[in-house]
Amino acid sequence: MIFSFETWQITLFSISVGLASTLLILPFGISLAWLFARKEWPLKSVLETIVLLPLVMPPVSTGLILLKIFGRRSPLGQWLYERGIEIVFNWKGVLIAMSVMSFPLLVRSVRTSFAEVNPRLEQIAATLGASPLRIFFVITMPLAYKGIVAGALLAFSRALGEFGATILLAGNIPGQTQTLSLAIYNFVQLGKDSEAYTLLGITVALAFLFVWCSEWLLRSGKRT
Amino acid sequence: MKLRCRIPLATFELNIDVTFDARVTAIFGPSGSGKTTLLDAIAGLRAIADGEIEIDGRVLFSSARGINLPPQQRGVGYVPQEGALFPHLSVRKNIIFGAERVMRAGGSRDIKLDYVLDILEIRSLLNRPVTKLSGGEAQRVAVARAILSRPRLLLLDEPLAALDIGLKERILPYLVRVRDEFKIPMIYVTHNLTEVLSLADWVLMIQQGKLVAQGIPREALRSAHALFQLPEDRFENVFTVSFMDSNRAAGTTRVRLAPGTELLIPYSERPANPNFEIRISADDIIVATQNPEGISAGNVVPGTIRTIDLLDGQAMLTVFAGEDFYVRLTAGAVSRLALREEIQVFLVMKTRSFHLL
Repeated sequence: MIFSFETWQITLFSISVGLASTLLILPFGISLAWLFARKEWPLKSVLETIVLLPLVMPPVSTGLILLKIFGRRSPLGQWLYERGIEIVFNWKGVLIAMSVMSFPLLVRSVRTSFAEVNPRLEQIAATLGASPLRIFFVITMPLAYKGIVAGALLAFSRALGEFGATILLAGNIPGQTQTLSLAIYNFVQLGKDSEAYTLLGITVALAFLFVWCSEWLLRSGKRT
Repeated sequence: MKLRCRIPLATFELNIDVTFDARVTAIFGPSGSGKTTLLDAIAGLRAIADGEIEIDGRVLFSSARGINLPPQQRGVGYVPQEGALFPHLSVRKNIIFGAERVMRAGGSRDIKLDYVLDILEIRSLLNRPVTKLSGGEAQRVAVARAILSRPRLLLLDEPLAALDIGLKERILPYLVRVRDEFKIPMIYVTHNLTEVLSLADWVLMIQQGKLVAQGIPREALRSAHALFQLPEDRFENVFTVSFMDSNRAAGTTRVRLAPGTELLIPYSERPANPNFEIRISADDIIVATQNPEGISAGNVVPGTIRTIDLLDGQAMLTVFAGEDFYVRLTAGAVSRLALREEIQVFLVMKTRSFHLL
């Protein structure tokens, strides 16, 4: 089966923006997950709830909130527009929607794996003279490695599946903001079943690849 | 070392105020008496409500002066109960993990890696993953790691507690070596008397967060208060003896306990160091008021009862026979034999009741 240019374009666009969103949230997600796992501060639970909100809220609602935040009529949207940056109805909107929607999954997964690292090891590393930064990179991160990889894969999969928030913030513009999920919906609506099934096949193949990859990574990550 | 601290805990308050200066200071007390909390506080891993910690004139913590050095700057090596080796690093990487501090803090004195490996006999383990170590090996690696960070003070939190009896006996000599070779002051937390008596020069006895007694181990542990606070632990006598001769056919070794006092212990080869430590449980010593005859026990040693402490049907005697022996009897035996302080008795001890440390 030879894919049309359009199919390639949609697939590549989805993967690259999905990848970019995962890379974008990784440093923030890891930092926040570490703070959640290791530090206490007043109203911490409020922040935890806010971060998890996109996970439980209807994606369309999250998309609407994002539209209000980044729309040209909002202060932030205005400010960005004056500097030549437009988020809404282009690929940056897709990126933001994917990032916001997959962020909670990443934080949850990484947080759990940080919590499973015995804090005693970090304390002993401190008595051995290791700076907080060295403790984090030499002790905590390597021991939480599996959870971080699993969280990143989960976030990436979630980003590729994103639909509701994306369609509100970025629209469904062929060649510009159309991701795999949006395109499938579009083709089904237009009665272009064969195109829809092609994309469906691609999503199944990608999903298979991710699950297989993550299993393989986790198995090879098991150090003896 | 000056140690004053107050830390509120869930069920009681840890409140210690003590000054001491010893090679090895044992902190002795039952489980849950605040011993680990105290070590954590010294290492800077736990907040202190109010107090002051000073080592060699160097203030690590002072609530009055607002000083609270982070663990990295305290120069305190810590061997926690479970060893806490970094599971994803090899033995070698674990051991050299703390070496970088030497460069920054100037270190206490030069300790060579090779020397530490030899003393603790862990050279052959270097390239192994720590997950493949036995309990005793892991503890020795944890001790090496702490020593190589060149600490000014070494904290050991029940390093032998997780090991079975046989292994304990094999690891204890390594700790004695560490004490004698590296000259790093140690604070050693334990609830095991054998360890206190064989390692420590000074003992702090803690109960429910309070200091109940302190002193030279033999003296401090003499008080009835301490003696009867022993949970499941066997109360053991530990003596340093010198080798005289041994007889393989008879299965015995003769050692000198004190001038004029010799003991028969189970056969062993002539050791490299003629002075070594032996132990016998306080429950394995028989007291006789007359010199018994026709008896299989290899040791009948005359002595004088110094003290008798009674509690709950038990009696703890100290009998001087070249050294102080602790003997635990029933209160019934004490009254049946009309034992009292200052009278002459004979201690009857089977050869095989003695164990090498």
